[in-house]
Amino acid sequence: MAGSSRADRRALHLSLGRADYGWTLDLQRTLHGRRKAGATPDVVITVEHNPVITFGRSGSSEHLLASPSELRREGIEVFDVERGGDVTYHGPGQLVVYPIVDLREHGRDVKGFVRGLEEATIETLTDLGIDAERRDGYPGVWVSNRKIAAIGVYVSGWVTRHGMALNVAVNPAHFAMIRPCGLPVETVSISDLLGRTVLLDRVRDVLLERLAERFDWELEPTSLAEILGGARG
Amino acid sequence: MEKNAIDILLPDLGEVEGVRVVQWLRAAGETVAEDEDLLEVETEKTTFVVPAPAGGCLIEIVAAEGATVERGGVLGRIEPSG
Repeated sequence: MAGSSRADRRALHLSLGRADYGWTLDLQRTLHGRRKAGATPDVVITVEHNPVITFGRSGSSEHLLASPSELRREGIEVFDVERGGDVTYHGPGQLVVYPIVDLREHGRDVKGFVRGLEEATIETLTDLGIDAERRDGYPGVWVSNRKIAAIGVYVSGWVTRHGMALNVAVNPAHFAMIRPCGLPVETVSISDLLGRTVLLDRVRDVLLERLAERFDWELEPTSLAEILGGARG
Repeated sequence: MEKNAIDILLPDLGEVEGVRVVQWLRAAGETVAEDEDLLEVETEKTTFVVPAPAGGCLIEIVAAEGATVERGGVLGRIEPSG
């Protein structure tokens, strides 16, 4: 256990299960404000979204390949958001991680934060027997030339929100509706590579352990009622 | 040029290259508070919001939207109030 001899910082893990993107975005913004104000320690949200397409600050509508009617038929919402990057898809079978982290307590290193997310993911995939890598200039995690995890972060007041999405077993037809990051790249899921189903919860638990090592966290589970309780009082 | 104007500098974000100005959240001529969100820059799939280094009047925008800025580069200038 890499970090256990040091004084690990207490941090919270909030597991939302399956949740709508817009609702989760509001929650992220609330917790981001509370983290900025020092009202909560670092929080890691994990969630599986209902199908949604989001555009980051470099987003171009040309990279959305589906028509509005196709999106409606599939029940896919579209959002413009403040994170970095271009267009991305979230949906069932994808593990989404939103770390609400005060980078002032992590060396004020934006690049180091992104790299920490990537490396924790690569270690998680190694545990599953998958060889993955970072690529300089192309944030995210790659297996050969296929993208398995996408990254898009927002930092204000040195506190992060948004984060990373790891494909565990995603519907490939949904990915075909976008050109991720504006690049003609293929995406891939863990289950495609292993040829079997892997439980999202299992991947989540391993990833949380790896993140805790990277960021020197002592992760403690929390609930919505618990974490928002302080805001009402 | 006001002699006591303060430069708004691009903070050190770690080893990043090609930091692009996405948008200014305030316009030249507006009064801003210290630490207020002033502009968004983007690099490595990360949007970083640069805070105002001081309260006062945003007298000049040096790096316009779309410009690429190096570490420590000047983004704009503030004439401090008081």
